[in-house]
Amino acid sequence: MPIGTMMSDLVRSLFKKPATELYPYVKKPAPARLRGKLTWNPEKCTGCQLCIKDCPSNAIDLVTIDKAAKQFVMRYHIDHCIYCAQCVVSCRFGCLALSNVDWELAIGNKEPLGIFYGKEENIARLMEQIANPGVEQPATPE
Amino acid sequence: MNLSLHPILVLLIFPGGLFLLASGLIYQWADRKLIARFQNRVGPRFIQPLADTVKLLAKEEIIPTGVHKGLFLVLPVIALAAALTAGLYVPMFGFQPASSFRGDLIVALYALSVLTLTMGLAGANTISRFSLIGATRTLTQLFSYEAPFLLTLLGPAIAAGTWQISKINDYAGQNIWLMIAQPIGFAVSLIGLMGKLELPPFDAPEAETEIVAGAMTEYSGRGYALFRLGKDVELVIGLTLVATFYLGGLANPLQFVIKTLALLLVLALLQTAFARLRIDQTVGFWWRAGALLAVVQLIAILLGRYFTTVF
Amino acid sequence: MSADTNKFVIPIGPQHPALKEPANFEFWVDGETVTGASVRLGYVHRGIEKGAEARTWVQNLYLMERICGICSHVHATAYTLGVEKLAGVEAPPRAQAIRQIMGELERIHSHMLWLGVAAHEGGFDSLFMYSWRDRETVMDLLEKISGNKVHYSANLLGGVKFDITPELAAEIHKGLEFLDERNRFYLKVVNQDETFIGRPRGIGTMTAERANFLGAIGPTARASGVAHDIRVDAPYLKYSEFPIKVETHTSGDLHGRFIVRINETFESIRVIREILDHLPPGELTARMPRRIPAGEAISRVEAPRGELLYFVASNGSDKPERVKVRTPSLCNWSTVLSLAIGLKLADMPMLLTGIDPCFSCNDRSVSVKRGTQDSSMWSWEKLRHYGIEYYR
Repeated sequence: MPIGTMMSDLVRSLFKKPATELYPYVKKPAPARLRGKLTWNPEKCTGCQLCIKDCPSNAIDLVTIDKAAKQFVMRYHIDHCIYCAQCVVSCRFGCLALSNVDWELAIGNKEPLGIFYGKEENIARLMEQIANPGVEQPATPE
Repeated sequence: MNLSLHPILVLLIFPGGLFLLASGLIYQWADRKLIARFQNRVGPRFIQPLADTVKLLAKEEIIPTGVHKGLFLVLPVIALAAALTAGLYVPMFGFQPASSFRGDLIVALYALSVLTLTMGLAGANTISRFSLIGATRTLTQLFSYEAPFLLTLLGPAIAAGTWQISKINDYAGQNIWLMIAQPIGFAVSLIGLMGKLELPPFDAPEAETEIVAGAMTEYSGRGYALFRLGKDVELVIGLTLVATFYLGGLANPLQFVIKTLALLLVLALLQTAFARLRIDQTVGFWWRAGALLAVVQLIAILLGRYFTTVF
Repeated sequence: MSADTNKFVIPIGPQHPALKEPANFEFWVDGETVTGASVRLGYVHRGIEKGAEARTWVQNLYLMERICGICSHVHATAYTLGVEKLAGVEAPPRAQAIRQIMGELERIHSHMLWLGVAAHEGGFDSLFMYSWRDRETVMDLLEKISGNKVHYSANLLGGVKFDITPELAAEIHKGLEFLDERNRFYLKVVNQDETFIGRPRGIGTMTAERANFLGAIGPTARASGVAHDIRVDAPYLKYSEFPIKVETHTSGDLHGRFIVRINETFESIRVIREILDHLPPGELTARMPRRIPAGEAISRVEAPRGELLYFVASNGSDKPERVKVRTPSLCNWSTVLSLAIGLKLADMPMLLTGIDPCFSCNDRSVSVKRGTQDSSMWSWEKLRHYGIEYYR
């Protein structure tokens, strides 16, 4: 009548290191395909907004600064994103990618969770408009 | 070793009282750490049991409706008091027991049983379903392991010819280790200790996945802290008793530490190796295998004494 | 506590250490013996089917995936198969093979998780800790392939998102070897350890006729000898090219369910190795229209818990008309309720875990039509109003 069949494993474990990884003192490198924070490259964006249509959780918006010159600013809500990578697939020009190094996104308050991506001058212009709402505004976001 | 301190100091500080409580916490830590290492995990830090106790003492004590309020509040105190009292008669930390008289083995065991009885009573006091079932299981288990466990502690007492723990300690220190002379008794006493302390695989009375916490379900805050401290002290006293009787007595602090920790290692291994037994399986196991083996060992001892006196 | 008899009711749930998710079970006990059982579900109802009607087909893919954490890929697969059937599109062979690999890896993951949970319910914490430690291997594999450990989001409407490169295939092989060896060890423990076998043996014994009568599916029924498996009865993806063997057992009790699930893990490992060696070449996606033509489709897949059924109805627009999900755990509850009678209370958690319940999958809305009542259509506003009035 065998009992204690796990005995050999148990005794051996006493002399092995524990299987636990002591995060955050020990950080395993993330795999190459990890789906972390979204990044956007504004160079190739044509403003087709397929990515925004396909996003399941309304995590991205496109603000048009100048439609003819293809100047856009993308607003990304980290707290809405579900990191599914559908937008990456939907974009025909490869503007979007999910980072595999930026995945420690936990934060104590909601302040920094809405990020603006784009060229410096466009973001500056957008910030100005948000700060002074009375001033003339270009095309409204989606 | 003899320690001559004022009785009040012994009672409150060392080697009873605060020291006993502290060693209870340390042994609880050692137990949890060893179990964790057997399961390939890290285990808690050294300060964890103290942190748990402090946190519990700071929490609000909720008294459920339908209980007898006085009983609810006083039972944890009685439990801890009984456990601490039993510490007076065993060679705690290798020193001579603080109080020693003929027959104190029975008193020490009775005090430990009072601990289990108060837990059963605490469970029966409330109207919560889980506590009632837990209380039933606690008392059922008490009736099943008590007889074999007592018989195995009786074996060394017969060999030493006395019921006084300090004298058994001296006898064990001078003769061959009773672990070798009475191996069956040693095995049954070790398993009996696990039953008494409600350690897995005999932890049906507080089976977390079936009846939440058994008899302790409705306790929180101070009452729960006192019950847990009582159980930790019971662990230390139980280990001391088995080490005294079977592992050649405890003559000084170093022997105490080494022998009880060695026993704790074996106990931790046994805890992790088996699945939990159902309460009816526990009772069946004890009344068949346990009692039978204890009686066999007792008969062997009696026959041995008879033959040595005859020849 | 009822005053007239000696029996009283033990509630297990909605909050209980035995349950990982909320549900309300009530067992009438007499001492330690159970004399009656009843269940109330619905604590995890999230309105997913209603939510599906307000989102586009692509967005719904991710909503359906999040019905359950452990069987997320099967839900997404069933949904995409249904939608692809409506659109008349077939995913390329390589995509189907990759879907199958992910599905089988998920099955391994689910069964190892279940082994640990069932051992924990039986008080065998060591088996629990070790099987969950080894489960990390399969989770790491899934993360290397897809980028996430839960909710792999592997599917796209018309194909899959990512490819399996030869290096990745080599890593999968290495991981599978480790899993194979560990699972053989767990099979040995489950079959031989007397302290452990004493808990599930003889508990919840169900003959094949009773299993069919109660409507049990999945490993719960297969442990009683009922050889139903959608992967063999109605093959989907690439199961006709890389078939699996249906694992059954004759004992019909809880112990049999352990054995069936561990054997299924071995089958999954074998199939994955076979597919990796013969991965069909080709592209990963097929072109899928944005507006799915009107129609109705049913897709059935084999989740780790049994048969998963999806009914997808389209009215020609880019949002579905109706998506109905029938999950396998729902069918197995009746077995628990009818088998609980006569057992001890201590066996209840193991019996509940034996069917591998997934409460999050369960709570969809079910309409019961009694013979005499007329069926009527309730609009959304009317339903909301009724709900508010009911609790006032």
